[in-house]
Amino acid sequence: MQTEVLENQIRGLSIVLGALQAATGEICKSCLNLEGAKIKVGKMVKKLGMDLDTASICCEKTKADLQARIDSFSKAAEELEVAEECECQKTAGNCKLGAECFVTAAVDLMKLVQ
Amino acid sequence: MAKTRCGRILGEDIYIEEGDTTTLYFINQLRAYQVVLVALKALDQDICHDGCSLPSTVNKVIKRLGKLKNDLEASDVAAEKKESLLSKIDSFLADVSRLPQDISQTCRKSAGECVMGSGCFATGALNLIKEITEPKALKI
Repeated sequence: MQTEVLENQIRGLSIVLGALQAATGEICKSCLNLEGAKIKVGKMVKKLGMDLDTASICCEKTKADLQARIDSFSKAAEELEVAEECECQKTAGNCKLGAECFVTAAVDLMKLVQ
Repeated sequence: MAKTRCGRILGEDIYIEEGDTTTLYFINQLRAYQVVLVALKALDQDICHDGCSLPSTVNKVIKRLGKLKNDLEASDVAAEKKESLLSKIDSFLADVSRLPQDISQTCRKSAGECVMGSGCFATGALNLIKEITEPKALKI
């Protein structure tokens, strides 16, 4: 995998994680969707780490820098605060913003990376 | 009338009376801006800091928050709740005002630095607002 592709993924994950961190301060903290997003983003970060391992990057410093960012994402994803017992906050009657979901949309920002 | 929790903004649980769609409208908007602002702050750490899409988005957010503030002031939301929500808008405005607003910079795609395809994170972050579909926009 090219450095460029990895860098784009890293740029995307940085924003997604920021948005999810904001959601943990919201009622989303007790929401199934945030719990699911945390797992999904955790897997994305793990896959990115594996892609970096197999990538043909000659410059050791570039590789180390990318690895450091992936490590920080891994920590950030792990530290996303989700309640022990979650349920969809729409179903619980707390989230009244319509049919859509911030958390799902935040994860979907990764789709902007082509 | 029974009160229900409908959000948590800047660390404060927000409750409304059942059926109070006017207040709910402002709360839902602020819930979205809370997430958008953090996404924009993350973008400010990216190459977007030197581009034009982030400043353009920041300017849009400033404008929209200003309009939201005017709409809230003119609304019939209960005084105490109105004050509380206005202070949150002011806090968001202060936050977003610290982000880049100079749109004369070159788009990072045009500069050849942003190579993520045709999409744009700044636009995508702003579009998170579109996730709010209820209640419909107020006619003030």
